Amino acid sequence: MPANHQSEVLANSGSAKRVWRRLRQQKFYQISVLIGIAYLLVFAYVPMVGLIIAFKNFKLSSGIPGFFTSEWVGFKWFLEFYRDISFWQIIRNTVVISLLKILFTFPIPILFAIALNEVRKEGLKRFAQTASYLPHFISWVVVSGMLFSFLNSQNGVVNQLLMAVGWIDKPISFLASASYFWPMLVLSDIWKEMGWWTIIFLAAIAGVDPTLHEAAVVDGAGRMQRILYVTLPSIKTTIIVVLILALGNLFGGGLGGSNFEQAYLLGNPVNNSVSEIIQTYTLKMGLAQGRYSYATAIGLIQSVISLTLILVSNYSAKKASGVGLF
Amino acid sequence: MKHGFRRTREDYVIDGIVYAILIAVMIATIYPFYYSLIISLNNGIDASRGGIFFWPRIFTWDNYEAVFSNDQLIKAYGVTIARTLIGTVSSLAFTALVAYSLAHKGLMFKNYYFLIFIIAMYFSGGLIPYFILIKKLHLMNTFAVYIIPDLLSVFNVIIMMSFFRELPEALKESARIDGASDLRTFLRIMLPLSAPVLATIALFNGVGHWNAWFDSAYFVNDKSLKTVSFLLMELINKANLTAVTGANTVDAQRSATYAAQTFTAESIRMATMIIVVIPIICVYPFLQKYFVKGIMVGSVKG
Repeated sequence: MPANHQSEVLANSGSAKRVWRRLRQQKFYQISVLIGIAYLLVFAYVPMVGLIIAFKNFKLSSGIPGFFTSEWVGFKWFLEFYRDISFWQIIRNTVVISLLKILFTFPIPILFAIALNEVRKEGLKRFAQTASYLPHFISWVVVSGMLFSFLNSQNGVVNQLLMAVGWIDKPISFLASASYFWPMLVLSDIWKEMGWWTIIFLAAIAGVDPTLHEAAVVDGAGRMQRILYVTLPSIKTTIIVVLILALGNLFGGGLGGSNFEQAYLLGNPVNNSVSEIIQTYTLKMGLAQGRYSYATAIGLIQSVISLTLILVSNYSAKKASGVGLF
Repeated sequence: MKHGFRRTREDYVIDGIVYAILIAVMIATIYPFYYSLIISLNNGIDASRGGIFFWPRIFTWDNYEAVFSNDQLIKAYGVTIARTLIGTVSSLAFTALVAYSLAHKGLMFKNYYFLIFIIAMYFSGGLIPYFILIKKLHLMNTFAVYIIPDLLSVFNVIIMMSFFRELPEALKESARIDGASDLRTFLRIMLPLSAPVLATIALFNGVGHWNAWFDSAYFVNDKSLKTVSFLLMELINKANLTAVTGANTVDAQRSATYAAQTFTAESIRMATMIIVVIPIICVYPFLQKYFVKGIMVGSVKG
């Protein structure tokens, strides 16, 4: 690659001397960028190379050179995962949790942005917006703490409220039950990330040409019609770009990328059948049990699917609407 | 948009729906924080009976006194402040330098450099190879493990780059003519002009450091090096266990052993949560005018 480029530059600038002079002129910039690249080589590219241990029998004692020197075992670890009794359950949980989140978490910020845009009182609008993205800055650790207080069956607010209005006779143990786990993940994800993604849609709405609205008013369009036929179509591009981003991180948990932390912090032995996902399983196998090659293989499955998703969603969005990220 | 026109029935309906949504969102967002606050200010044993919704029933500072008398937590708070300050500043400086240099007009080999950065953004080795790297670099159990692995984020480089590109090239030229070195131009002219994007990235980084618990949990064993988010995570794990075992055994044991104490696992957890959350609540509203632009650029170019 460098040799190829060198000749290109030579052809462009005429002589090696001039290339050198230009390089010397931008010495400061070149050195800074190269330091950044050196950093990336160590912290991003070495782990990427390390992925080959998914096909090897890696021992921690062999260190980084062990990435190369350990023996090949082919697809042994992938097959072992496939034969694991919890394989289908883990795959199902990963896929279902991810899809539920995209389905329910993605449209909400668009709706909230449209609602905010209809508010005429500036102060109220700004206050509501500022409040709505506070949860984005709070960690999942804290959010989980709140969930444990709100949903517990002893003195949880939700149970007390449901009992007071007479919907239930005895407290529901939301936290120690498999059936409430997925709704709890989706709702808490909406609570945490809704306001943050509203920012971007609201900015897009603010950029809509006001003459479009004026023309619609002249044509006799009501407010609802203007929302449907002016506002929504005008922010189509933004919606598509954000959707690509969300789909690209589908198995990480969409916009908020929250799958791992939610499953880790809210998962417990009782809801394990619905809370174990690829990421938590990788962690257990790798860091807790020290089965590094096996865990790497499992993690690699998710990375490959995710990368494919980014490329496919980007390609299809480009094809459908001419909008893409790269 | 409707200046002077009479409000139609549609206007009333839409306004009604919009304000209902707004109020519901505000309550849903703010109440959990408020509830955590009042529980943290209430006698813990009393709070476990339920029925507290709007204000503390038996007001007390006991929970906070208990939290602040815990040496490990005080130490962890210090570690967290240190990692947030050092981590944010060092990563901001490094990221800005790299982004500024990448944005330099006419930078040779630019396309190859970009390729290296973009690949690093979309591919990753995943947890296990990363863990092996950290271990083999002897970063385990050091304070540096909180700082070094987070020094450069490609995503932030891209956000900053698109900002630096918009700065007028003429400024660089005139600084050069005046005899300023490239480094000096960067530090004295370009950085001060970039306050909005720097504030945005600093906020992202700072919040990330403040909230981080995973590295503290898996890359650090030394108790005196743990972060406050990690300690909170441990409290939450205990709560999770309590939820599963049904009976509030942890609390029962505690109140049996120390009959004089008024706090419970929950009230301690709430007080710790408030202590963790308060710095963030104090900082983010002041930076919001900056990060609205930051998130726009980041999402569209990301």
